[in-house]
Amino acid sequence: MPGRAEGGKLRVHRLAALLLATGFAIPAFAQEATPPELTDANVGAVMAQAVDDVIRPGYRAFHASAGALAKATAAFCKAPSEDSRKVLDAAFRQAVTDWGRIEIVRIGPVLNDNRFERILFYPDRKSTGLKQVQALLQQPDEADTDPANMAGKSVAIQGFGALEFVLYGTGSETLMSAPESFRCRYGAAVATHIETTAGQLAAAWDAPDGVQQDWKHPGPQNPVFRTGKEAMTALLGILVHGAEAVRDQRIETFYRNGGTARPKSAVFWRSGNTWTSIDANFEGLQTLFDKSGIAEFVDPGHTSLSGNVDFVLTALRNVVRTADPDIEKAVTTPAEQQKIAFLLVNTRDLIVSLNGDFGGAIGLGAGFSFADGD
Amino acid sequence: MRTAATASALLDRRAFLRMAGAAWLATLGPRAAFALARADAVFASGCMDHAGRFAIAVLSEDGTVIDRTPLPARSHGMAYSPATNHLVAFARRPGTFALVIDRGGKAAPVTIAAAEDRHFFGHGCFSPDGRLLYASENDFDANRGVIGLYDARDGYRRIGEYSTYGIGTHDLSVSDDGRLLIAANGGIETHPDFGRTKLNLDHMEPSLALIDAATGGLVQRHALPEKLRQLSTRHVDLDEKGRIWFACQYEGPRNDLPPLVGHFGKGEDLTFLSLPEETTIGLANYVGAIAVNRREGLVGLTSPNGGRFVVLDAESGRVLREEDVPDAAGIAAAPHGFAVSSYDGRFAGRRADVAWDQHIAGLAPPR
Repeated sequence: MPGRAEGGKLRVHRLAALLLATGFAIPAFAQEATPPELTDANVGAVMAQAVDDVIRPGYRAFHASAGALAKATAAFCKAPSEDSRKVLDAAFRQAVTDWGRIEIVRIGPVLNDNRFERILFYPDRKSTGLKQVQALLQQPDEADTDPANMAGKSVAIQGFGALEFVLYGTGSETLMSAPESFRCRYGAAVATHIETTAGQLAAAWDAPDGVQQDWKHPGPQNPVFRTGKEAMTALLGILVHGAEAVRDQRIETFYRNGGTARPKSAVFWRSGNTWTSIDANFEGLQTLFDKSGIAEFVDPGHTSLSGNVDFVLTALRNVVRTADPDIEKAVTTPAEQQKIAFLLVNTRDLIVSLNGDFGGAIGLGAGFSFADGD
Repeated sequence: MRTAATASALLDRRAFLRMAGAAWLATLGPRAAFALARADAVFASGCMDHAGRFAIAVLSEDGTVIDRTPLPARSHGMAYSPATNHLVAFARRPGTFALVIDRGGKAAPVTIAAAEDRHFFGHGCFSPDGRLLYASENDFDANRGVIGLYDARDGYRRIGEYSTYGIGTHDLSVSDDGRLLIAANGGIETHPDFGRTKLNLDHMEPSLALIDAATGGLVQRHALPEKLRQLSTRHVDLDEKGRIWFACQYEGPRNDLPPLVGHFGKGEDLTFLSLPEETTIGLANYVGAIAVNRREGLVGLTSPNGGRFVVLDAESGRVLREEDVPDAAGIAAAPHGFAVSSYDGRFAGRRADVAWDQHIAGLAPPR
């Protein structure tokens, strides 16, 4: 009788076989499909759905959960207890989830003023953040507990990475027995600054005459998208680059086929939220794909292309959710390694499919359609 | 601050690439060397097939694909040395490999792995005698462009590096006499930790630099003026007179109409061409590739964003020809005019079942 690990391995194999059977892993250019005409109007409608139904709600949700995290951190610092810690852990996990859903958008206001790195400074291959946070904790300076000072500091002592070390890293066990400790109040300041940055992002996207206007109305006078095709390229680019980031910057940073596993390089390994974050990334990609209506541009005779994208995203999420949150175990157990290998193979195919078949079917050039600075 | 960088994980990546490179080399049999050496092969370009596999293809003058040589990952720019008959393909940024092929089949292919804490920016060039390969690279911890120097006579061993005196270096060329290196410093900060994300669009530092090829000393540097600080200077080519033509990609508001092309020479200021408004609009603020046809005194530009191919008179700067080429990719001088490729498989008018990458190398001395 197979054990749980073997069962997991079998499930992954069956799923991989199923994906191959659907033809997903062997894409071909969709030359037969009749690409639609991309006009400012019809693309504008899709962009409006992407903005109003995905991006703006995404940033607002992140702002709300970042606010809850800041409150929970402050409450825990004031009165550490099992209960307040549970609330804090749940708030941290929720904020990681909400950020994971919207962090796929690596374009727009999040790139201004280093906001992306202020929220999550990762991968931190040389442990710059860890070193700086440890040094900060060893030499307490009350100025570091004031959120107002955070903006002028190194991004390495801001954001989720710093907060995770404070709450889950070496020495975090002292938090329960030391109300209002410097370490905890610094953590609270970090959490408050995440909330501030999240608020800036939500406000930038909610401003009626701001970036949302530019995204919804491509045209000759538009400072961001001069044509519908440019806007559509950017939207598909979020999906492609988002999938690339999951593979290259979230999974391969700690596990690469044929390479040395580095479980302590995984994002959010200390809090056990690595897969939470990665699942949220996939969920964000799937939500954008489904709710933007980008698939509506596919020729009706070739809707299986859209189905394939949805199918593989669902499959990826199903596997991620069974992965062991203990990353040390995940990279050393054969059945868990199979799951990670599955994620790597299928994110690659997801990228190829979006970039090739799907891009061609919605009227963008199949292939190298992202002229992104080369 | 973004000093965090690579070390261990990239070391792994290099080891991986060595393995991938070895596997790749094993796929190259005598047939591939023969195809690469064929006299009718006059162009080379990176490409991707329908299964997402990458290759270098060599093509005849009329765009017929003669052969494809598989690559372990996506390439970008290439360089060819008529002196040694060596062809090199550079990995797309932030790639960590370059592959050198001896088209004469006298030497085995070589895989060059990027040095520690460096990655390739996707372009490079040979010294005129073919003895040195210069590669544009990123010293990403220090956020500065460098030129890696590789000894072609010693298995492309890295023997040193020069500064490019700028950041976000992209294209790299060399003067005909081999004395000057020309670096197009696009001014955009990137870091492998953040993939291809552009990290400093609100404070770019584009520049063009002439560098002494013998010493690495700075000969001349042109930082773009403040009003054009979001104009990324990315590709260069030289004309018959030794003038350096440069082409740009604009990161500022899309409804601006910045100058996109210009030229300069040693001891000269930058001269921007004032293209007609409809030409600038057609190029969509993004010139993806530039080539000079020396014999005919022409400068060719392609824009994938605008789906446009433009030919200029090198003497007057006047627009001679404009053509819609959807997904226009690479451009290279041809016996008459230019060979232009596209992401959707067209090359010099022929169609192949591949997506052509952004650049074409001519397998002959400059025309």
